[in-house]
This record gives sequence, C-alpha cells and structure tokens, in this order.
Amino acid sequence: MSLLDVSDLSVRYEPKSHRPLDAVQHVSFSIEAGEFVGLIGESGSGKTTLGTALLRLLQRPGRISAGSITFDGTDITHLHEDELRDLRWRDISTVFQSSMNALNPVTRVEAQFRDVIEQHSRLRGEAVTTRIRELFDMVIIDHRFISAYPHELSGGMRQRVNLALALALEPKFVLLDEPTTGLDVVVQHSILENVRRLQAEQGFAVLFISHDIGTVLDLSDRILVMYAGRIVEEQPAAALLRDPLHPYSKGLLGSYGDPRAETVRITYVPGRPPDLSLEIRGCSFAPRCPERIARCTEVDPPLLPMAAGRAACHVAQLQRDEGGAGEHGEPKRTFDGPQFVKTAEESTQALRGDVVLTVDHVSKVFTRRRGLTVQHTEAVTDASFVLRKGEVTALVGQSGSGKSTLARMITGVDSPTTGRIVFHGPNGDQEVAGFRGRSLRDYRSNVQMVFQDPYSSINPAKRLGYVLARPLANYHGLKGDALRDRVEELLETVALTPADRFVNRYGYELSGGQRQRVVIAKALAVEPDIIVADEPISSLDVSIRAEILELLGGLVQTKDVGILYITHDLLSARMLADEVIVLNNGRIVEQGQTLAVIRSPQDAYTRTLIEAIPNPF
Amino acid sequence: MRYFARKFGFFVATLWAVVTLNFLIPRLQPGDPAEIMVKKLAGKDAQLDPAQVRAMRAMLGAPDGSLVQQYGTYLGELVRGNFGLSYSYYPFKVTEVIGQAFWWTVILVTVTQALSFVVGVVLGAYAAWRRNSRFDSVVTLGSTFLGTLQPFWIALLLLYVFGYSLGWFPTSGGYEESTPGLNFPFVQEAVSHSFLPALALLIVTPIGWILGMRNTMIMNLGEDYIRLAKAKGLPDRVVALKYAARNALLPSVTGFALALGGVLGGAILVEQAFDYPGLGRLMGEAVENKDYPLLQTLMLLTTVGVLVANLVADLLYGVLDPRARRAQS
Repeated sequence: MSLLDVSDLSVRYEPKSHRPLDAVQHVSFSIEAGEFVGLIGESGSGKTTLGTALLRLLQRPGRISAGSITFDGTDITHLHEDELRDLRWRDISTVFQSSMNALNPVTRVEAQFRDVIEQHSRLRGEAVTTRIRELFDMVIIDHRFISAYPHELSGGMRQRVNLALALALEPKFVLLDEPTTGLDVVVQHSILENVRRLQAEQGFAVLFISHDIGTVLDLSDRILVMYAGRIVEEQPAAALLRDPLHPYSKGLLGSYGDPRAETVRITYVPGRPPDLSLEIRGCSFAPRCPERIARCTEVDPPLLPMAAGRAACHVAQLQRDEGGAGEHGEPKRTFDGPQFVKTAEESTQALRGDVVLTVDHVSKVFTRRRGLTVQHTEAVTDASFVLRKGEVTALVGQSGSGKSTLARMITGVDSPTTGRIVFHGPNGDQEVAGFRGRSLRDYRSNVQMVFQDPYSSINPAKRLGYVLARPLANYHGLKGDALRDRVEELLETVALTPADRFVNRYGYELSGGQRQRVVIAKALAVEPDIIVADEPISSLDVSIRAEILELLGGLVQTKDVGILYITHDLLSARMLADEVIVLNNGRIVEQGQTLAVIRSPQDAYTRTLIEAIPNPF
Repeated sequence: MRYFARKFGFFVATLWAVVTLNFLIPRLQPGDPAEIMVKKLAGKDAQLDPAQVRAMRAMLGAPDGSLVQQYGTYLGELVRGNFGLSYSYYPFKVTEVIGQAFWWTVILVTVTQALSFVVGVVLGAYAAWRRNSRFDSVVTLGSTFLGTLQPFWIALLLLYVFGYSLGWFPTSGGYEESTPGLNFPFVQEAVSHSFLPALALLIVTPIGWILGMRNTMIMNLGEDYIRLAKAKGLPDRVVALKYAARNALLPSVTGFALALGGVLGGAILVEQAFDYPGLGRLMGEAVENKDYPLLQTLMLLTTVGVLVANLVADLLYGVLDPRARRAQS
C-alpha cells in the first residue's frame, strides 16, 4: 500500500457567474513513503489546485467532485475537519508557493512554531524551544532569528523558515508548491539543496510542484506531467529525460537548453492551453501538437502504461505497440515546434556593431538622511561598458546587485554620482545626466523600457489600439489613418496577427505572453535605439518564454536596436545575449562574450551563478 | 523606543499648532461679544450706548491690544490653566462651566464608542469568518441600510417613540431632583436620562466598524498565512482570532482614534435633541452667544482629545504591528 493514493480525482469550480470548470480531471497516481515526486505543468494546468485538494484546503467555489484521496490507509476525501485536524501537519505538511506571505506578519516566528508543535505534540515550554533550535539548525539559520518577526528575514531565510516549519513534526508527506519561485537563482539553488539533503536524511515523501522542468528533473525520482487538468505522462526522471512519451513533455524539455553549447536551440509550444470550461473533443493537447494524427481530434487518449511509466497519447501508444514503429514512425525525442536558435557566431558579429551608449566609470551613492545621521549606500561602483546597435547585452546579478540602479541611470531617471553615461545619438554625443525637459523627452523616445510584469504595464481601462497609439501621437504626432496603420504594423511586428483583431481588445483579455508582446510593441512604437528589458520573461510560463526571447532576438537583428537585458538568470542571458556583464554588490566582476563567460568563468561569483543553473543533462 | 519618541514629538508639535489655530480662528469671526451682551440685557431694539459697550467689555475682560499681545497673554493664561470667564454664564469661570458638562459627554461618548467598536469588530469578524452565511447577509445588509441614517434623526425618532408616546424614558435633561454626586438616586436618574442618547449613537456608530472589519478580514482570509494556519491543523478559533482577526484589526485601530473626533459632531446634535447637559449643548450655546472663552476652550478640549486619541492609537499600533515599529524607527 502506498503512502498516498489518489484515484480518479476531479476538482470542479462552480462560480456563480461563470460556467463550471473542471480544473482537475480524473487524476490517479500514488506516492510511496520516502519518494520524491515532481509535478510539472504550466500555469492553469491545475497543478496547484491538485495540491490544494490533497491538503483538503479547497475553498468554495471549488470542491472535490469525484474520486478519492487515501493517505496512509485512511480515506481523507471527505473526512470531517475535526478528524482531519489530527492528520494535518503531524502527517501532512506543506511549503507554499514563494511563501513571502506564509508567516503571520504580526507574531514572532517562534510563536508560529510553538502553536503548531503544542497543538500536535506533548512538547511544552523549554522542550518546544529546544525543538525549534534543532529545526533552525536543520535549515542552517542562526538561532537569533527565532525571536524575529517575519519581515526581519530575507526572502530566502523566510523560505527556509517555512521549510523548517513544515518539518517541525516529522511529517510523512510534504507538499512543496513552487517553493522557490521568485527567489534569486543562487538562493533557490541552496534551498533546494537543503530540501534534498533533509529528504534523504529524514525520509519523508515529497510532492514537488513546479513549472521549471530543470529543477524538477534535478530533484525528483519520478515525474508527473500535467496538462489541462490531467496527468498526461508519468515516468521516472531519468526515463522522462531519455525517452519522453507525451509531445507536451517533449515541448517542456525543448524549452530547456544547455547554456554551454556552441549553439543553443530551444523550442517552444505555440498556442495556448484550452479553456477548461468548454467541452473538449479528443486530446486536449491536439491543437498544439506537431505529432497529431486524425484520431487525436476525435478520441480522448486514456492514460495507459507505456515504456517505464504511463502516458496519455495515441501516437506514443501506437509507436510503442508491437511493430508500431514501422507503421507510425520511430518515437521522437524532440518537439517539432518553432525554435529559437542562438549561435556563438551571431554574437561575434553583434559585437562589431556601432556603439550607441557608453557607460563610463559610473558610480551611484544613495544618501539617506534620518534625523542627524546620514547613511551612504553605494549601489553601483565604477561600472563601465558599452551598448551596441544590434546587440543584446545582459546585466546579470542577484537582487540588490545594482542592476536596476544602472537601468534607472541609463533611462535618465537617476543620475550618476560620479562618472558619465554618454548617448551617441543623431545629435552627436550627449551626456544623459544633462538632459532636462524637452531634451529628456526626446532622449526617452530613444531609450524605452520593458518591465517584468506585463500584467501591470498595460492600462486595463484602454483598448490596445489606444495603448499603442499614445506614444505615436506623443512623439511622432501621427493622426488618423497614418496612426492606425502604424499601430497595426506594430502589432504585426510582434506577431499579434491579424492586427485588426487585437486593436479593439483590452490587455486583460490576453495571455501573459501576448501581453508582453504588447508591451514590447509599445516600446518599439517610437523606434528607439535602446530597449532596456528588466526581467521581461521571468513572470511568464516556460513554454512561452522562448516565444518572447525569439521576438526580442529577432528585433535586434531586423530593427537595429540595442537591448540591455536585465536578469538574475544566467541561462536566459545565454539564450538571448551576445555579451554578458556580471554584477555583484554594485561592482562588475566579469564581462565578456556570453558563451566565453559561461564556458570559462573567471570570477568566483560567476561560477556560483553557473552552478546554480539546474543541469539535468 | 525611537518610534514612540517620534510619535510623542509629533504630538507636541501638533498640539502647539492646534493651540495657535484655536486662538486665531474665533478672532476671524465678525461680531463683538460686548455689543451682543448689551443688546441681550437691554432688549433687541435698544439703542447701543458706546459707554455701555465699553463698560461691558472691561467687565468681561474682553481682549484688547494687538493680536501678538493677545497671543502672548493667551499662552500665558493657558499655561496657568486660566481660561477666563464665560460671557454667557457670567460670572462663572469657563473651567467651571465646562466642568459641569464634561463628564456627561465624556462618559456618554466613551461608553458608546467603546461599545460600538467592540460590537462592530466582533460582528464584522464573525460575518467575514462565516462569509455568505445567513448571519453575514443579515449583518451586511442591515448595516448598509442603517448606515444611511443620521444619529440625530434616530434621536428624534427614539424621543418620539420611547419618550413621548410610550413614556418609558425622560425626554430631556440629565437628572431630576437628586443631588449630583455618587449617590444611588442620581446615578439611576443619570443612566435613565442617558439611555436614549446612548441608544441613538449606538444604532449607527458600529456600522463603520462592522463593514470595515468584515472587508479587511475577508481580504486577510485569502492570505497565505491563513491557508497555512489551516494546513497546520490549528483549531478554527485560533485561526480566526490569532491569525485572521489579529491582522484585520490593525486598520480599525487607527480608524478608531480618527473617528473619536468626528463622533463629537454627531453627539452635538444628539445632545441638543435630548437637551442633554453635555459639551455638545454647551458648544451650541457658546456659538450662539459668541462666548469666545467658552468656545475656544471647548475647541481646544476636543482637538486635544482627538490628538490624545491619535497618540494612543499610534502607540497601540506600534505595539500591535511590529512592521510599523521598524519602518519608522
């Protein structure tokens, strides 16, 4: 008997004002004691709903509409809350999605350990304190933080505390729901290392939910792939990597490239997941699938045992049947979708472009005055580099490394304390810090920004046509037909076609990837020389990241702009950037052609960053 | 500790500003109190004799000299606790006149406000915890309806129903024949006289707290730390009180102090409806009679009251929310 047995589980949301929606559909799987299972899928695939259902924390209008969850021999599907309470945390605990907010902000960390320990164990008083100390030792946090308030801990520390909290009562099963999303790569890496070590030592079972196939492959024994509310594939990690069965798994694997390769190729899955509130005929992945056959659009493929696991795919099944390979072709390992390719050769070419902006020995000191004391913080120290037309320069570093400060100085929002930033524009060389009023406005039409969160960068009250028309009317004085033509041209540049279908829509009606395209179109509207893109893909799903990278990559070549790509993720820097600048504590520690830096990093910090990239290959 | 020192510093600075404004504002109003006094004594249509007015002014100790001199005198007297004589209750001192009305209002307002706050917060929190239940619908809809009513209108209604028609409660004043002080007949009379004014305030004032608390609490219930508290298998009572309500209470605490000031405005009308011997009625009289010293002192008293309430709320907030302490210290 398994520790956790999920059989035919469905979760239905029945909101009053919308059609009901089956977020999880007939899901069956089991987890053995001490097993580390990964659950992967893009946003909206139902993975978090599934996790919430397992914890029996679903809230109205969501409910378990069919199937059963058996934990350690007890059916907990409809177990009364009072009986469930004894099971909670003692046997089943959790760490939530980037739980910046999972700790009660008004009570000390200690109290939040103490209440749960006293609730479920016989420990009291000093014994509890001793246990909390042990737990803090386990996740390597200084004891003095036991009596701290949550806001006094850094993001990474908070997540370690959450991990310690989850292990407080030595549970048999821990659900980790995107535990490190939103944290810096290096911190992420060290927390996951910690998880793996503790899991090996203490032998609890884990269901690890993530959208990042790299980390899932890295950590898990077995992997469940979820798409549109269903499990479409289940295989041991090594088998999934070697011989993926479902085309969607292939697509996810394809979105991951090896940063050390001469030429990085990443594929992406075009299209969007289906609307689960509508009736779906046949396989839910069929519309996006390159291996689709006639049967896929008619018959819903069942999840059948196959190769080393299970999969729900007609093609995979036929190919693996006796003699099927001859009739239906050999199983493919890759996803035959659109590709984004970055070669080292391109980078070499790009580094010969015209210099458009020079950052010359720039430092920035922030002065904070509080009463009589004055505090100086040096955010950027002696930074020098250039931006070229037709080149992508990546600025890589952790949060607090000074990358955003540099971006603010380049866009003319802040001015350097010492040093100069010179723009080599149509009016000759001009110092950015010297721009005021009208000249600053003109400069801004040459330097545009793309922000991290496409959800809040578009005015939700205006149609896209208006959103894109504003900068054109402001800077180029376009009116009437000329304006409309240019708006449509922009939408087409970012592949939102046919353009007339998008002009009258609102930002919130689009998917994340489409929104980011609109934001990029908005930046392109004024034909800038430089685009500063601050983490433009980090809030997007893996399968659409490549799409945006390709768009940016294409723009550099065709529009002759320079892109400053700001990121904490060296892997995405490798995919897009020709040159990389590594920033640590406000100082440039390493700088050079991306491939060269990744292959032979000179600085210790760069090496840490590279080691933090999950490497399942 | 610095958080508390800063808050206290702000308090002192605001107090000074209040005292100064309190000096200036009545002097910007048109009309001469001495003239009004003479008119009052001699009859409305009597001819004003300048000598009489001068005499009256001297008798009242009415302000003369430049504004700066007046300000100096004013501050000096203030420090000594000398607020002058009331014009309308001449020859009583302002402090005596206010002293008589003070406790009537303070007890009425503090008791009703504290009660409203507690009732409002508890009902609001419970409605949020049992969201979409019948209890929640009744409380929310009921509050929205009652919230549109004004306390003085309710006061008139109560007065009519329970005072005149049913005759259950006295309709005016604070007590009948007993001697004011701590004796049973007086306390009994005072309570029965205060009951309707208190009720008039109590029907409306909790509504803001109910709706405010319910909304913040519902927002907080969606937070991760509430889900985590549930996942921890803590009893509902603990999740609701220590996690949800404890956090949802924070905005209400600041609101409470701010509301105390506004409440006095509502109390003035209610007091007048019941002819209740409190500060509200006194203030109305002071305005009618251009009783500068009384008016000034009353204004000062109320603003200082609001300031103190704010200081207490700030300090309390510092205790309740650890983030506020760090952010500003």
